[in-house]
Amino acid sequence: MNFQSKANKYVCPNDRQLSLRSKLRTGWSAARSEPPLTQKEREAIAAVVKRAEKVDEVEARRVGRLVARLEGMRRSAQGPAPRTCLLCGETSRLLAPLRTCSMCQNSACPKCVIDTPPHRSPIYSREQYMCNLCAETREMWKKSGAWFFKSLPKYILPDRRNTGRYNDSELAKSLQDGGNSSNEGKTDSEPGSPLSVHPPTFSRQPSNTESRKSISSGKFQDHDWSETDILSHGVSGLSLHRTDSLNQRPLGLKRTGSKGSAYSLRSVRKEIPKPITQVERPPTIPDSGFGTLEIKLAYDNGTSSLAVTVLRARGLIGMDMTGLSDPFCRLEVMPREGTYSNRLRTKTVHKTKNPEFNETVHFFGITESDLSTKSLEIVVFDDDKYGCDEMGSATVALRECLKSPAQLRLALSGASGSEPTGPRLLLALCYSTKRRALVVTVCRAADLPPQDSNGYSDPFVKLYLDPDPYHKKHKSSIKWRNLNPVWNEEFLFETRPTELSRQNLTVTVWDKDYGKPNDFLGSLVLGASSKGQRLKHWMDCIKFPDHRHEQWHSLTDTQHL
Amino acid sequence: MGGGGDMKWQKDAADQNFDYMFKLLIIGNSSVGKTSFLFRYADDSFTSAFVSTVGIDFKVKTVFRHDKRVKLQIWDTAGQERYRTITTAYYRGAMGFILMYDITNEESFNSVQDWVTQIKTYSWDNAQVILVGNKCDMEEERVVSAERGRQLAEQLGVEFYETSAKENINVKTVFERLVDIICDKMSESLDSEPAMLAGGGRGQRLTEQPQGNSNPNCNC
Repeated sequence: MNFQSKANKYVCPNDRQLSLRSKLRTGWSAARSEPPLTQKEREAIAAVVKRAEKVDEVEARRVGRLVARLEGMRRSAQGPAPRTCLLCGETSRLLAPLRTCSMCQNSACPKCVIDTPPHRSPIYSREQYMCNLCAETREMWKKSGAWFFKSLPKYILPDRRNTGRYNDSELAKSLQDGGNSSNEGKTDSEPGSPLSVHPPTFSRQPSNTESRKSISSGKFQDHDWSETDILSHGVSGLSLHRTDSLNQRPLGLKRTGSKGSAYSLRSVRKEIPKPITQVERPPTIPDSGFGTLEIKLAYDNGTSSLAVTVLRARGLIGMDMTGLSDPFCRLEVMPREGTYSNRLRTKTVHKTKNPEFNETVHFFGITESDLSTKSLEIVVFDDDKYGCDEMGSATVALRECLKSPAQLRLALSGASGSEPTGPRLLLALCYSTKRRALVVTVCRAADLPPQDSNGYSDPFVKLYLDPDPYHKKHKSSIKWRNLNPVWNEEFLFETRPTELSRQNLTVTVWDKDYGKPNDFLGSLVLGASSKGQRLKHWMDCIKFPDHRHEQWHSLTDTQHL
Repeated sequence: MGGGGDMKWQKDAADQNFDYMFKLLIIGNSSVGKTSFLFRYADDSFTSAFVSTVGIDFKVKTVFRHDKRVKLQIWDTAGQERYRTITTAYYRGAMGFILMYDITNEESFNSVQDWVTQIKTYSWDNAQVILVGNKCDMEEERVVSAERGRQLAEQLGVEFYETSAKENINVKTVFERLVDIICDKMSESLDSEPAMLAGGGRGQRLTEQPQGNSNPNCNC
């Protein structure tokens, strides 16, 4: 072939020769000394490189989302255990026997495997199964391009803490857009309510400055093999190193004793009448880590009423396992007059750290003199089945409403007292690796409600784990005629640390009665599905085994079974 | 890039709607028609005026193949040697190469072997290559027969197409075929190395696969 004969001088060199040659700067690829690139050329190339960096950044973020998704799946997996499903923890049943994943050799229930993987390699020739986790990992390798580079390319994890956090220019923009789009996309929490909430427009966009840092030049030369532990699943299905809000934010949470206080009065609520067209940028206030709240005040002389519009909050602390919260605001004009409590609350906006409340509440009977002396206290709570945790509060003087525009952006500050008040229970949790059990110490309770005619109760505590393969239930001794009982009794639940993250400890306090059913005094649920301080307590117990974690918890007066 | 913050974001969101992202690279001697080829594919436009590419450029196109949306980032490189250091930097990220010569230009055909060694030197070893003889509309000026191109491709162990960016012959085919080859390679590499997935695959380069496209006549 003439192509070959011509290339006499260049018989196909091997890789080593080539690399040497490239160093020597000889051979055809480095033969001539070219004139250096002109300024114009450099600019053109720099523009392309910049464009490529953008593409790479978007791609890195996409891969980050894939990684986060897989990580989330892995975290929620139950971990390998004999005769239970790797993913959902389902035990083997007659009609639905567990399958073995051909990749990781763990067993999974039929719902959590895919059979006959869609490829034709000889190793899958007989009927085999792949667990969803392996299938997902495989998919992630394909989608991210890791299959090609034999490791994960650069990626940017979606920043949960900053999700939806606006930077200042975006905030100003969203304020303007906010009014215009407020009638689209109703995401009401209660059906049939006239309240319209517009969706958080930027909620998926992590802030730019953050991401720019983690992206280096657009070249693919330097693959960093950063967090590849994501790829080695199957050892323990969960990794409990959570880096989200709970650990990063100060958690000085106060929990109200019961729902009752926060729910006292319902307000007259109405839709925001007009889109806000001209919004001056509210003064920025240093954020102490609890987020900010935007409100609008309007005072009406004629009806002597104060209308408070709670627009939105930004960057609230996360309360549940996923780092999200279910916030609502409680508003109160302080100081109170006599015993009359003038508390109003907004609706709850679910699963968000950047709620759009857009709700107006009216305080009546506010005189003009009140404006100069009184102030408005706004407390943001996390709504929860088992009571509500305070997520931050702000106070604003009423005279602010005389300024125009009376739109304010308030920085929320942390909850004042960390110790709960009202009926409460001091619990100590400790996972003992030696005894392979969760040791729950019921230390004491305080301010229990009296249930007997003598003004006392006869409290005792019942505890159980759920789900618990051993169905173990414990009961403490009865402390007669005592509203602040001290037990200091230890109870053991045999379990594994990996199991703990999907178990809930339910503690109920009862008043012992003879001849009639026991009276319920309060309850408490700790576990991965709980929120706030209870979640933190539980996670601490898992993260630091063989340590005693003691903490007060408020008791809820609702009985949940 | 222009555009306000949210416009850019919306565009990004639309761009996110794909399954795989492949980076492709078009290489070959100067003036064989790499840029025209890319423009024909990405924008369906053609101009016979010759403008030498400065360094590198790329275009993004999303295609639908086998029920999967594949986003292609297609890099167009300058054929001129003075940009060689820049262009070779992009070999590393490319999953597929379109190696192009001009059927009316003997020298561009003779350089193919050199380009192959470039690929071998700078790219990942499982990168896929397609050999393309461009300008097949200029039949009367042809100096490289289709047969010679086919033979060379066979020697190199790659697929071969004759194309014309001007007449839009085989342009789409080449890209689609390359996407298919990469897709095949993808499932193959995942099936052959399940250990890579199952764990431990911490950045290690697994054993080098036997090179399918090594030249049998090569005496090295």
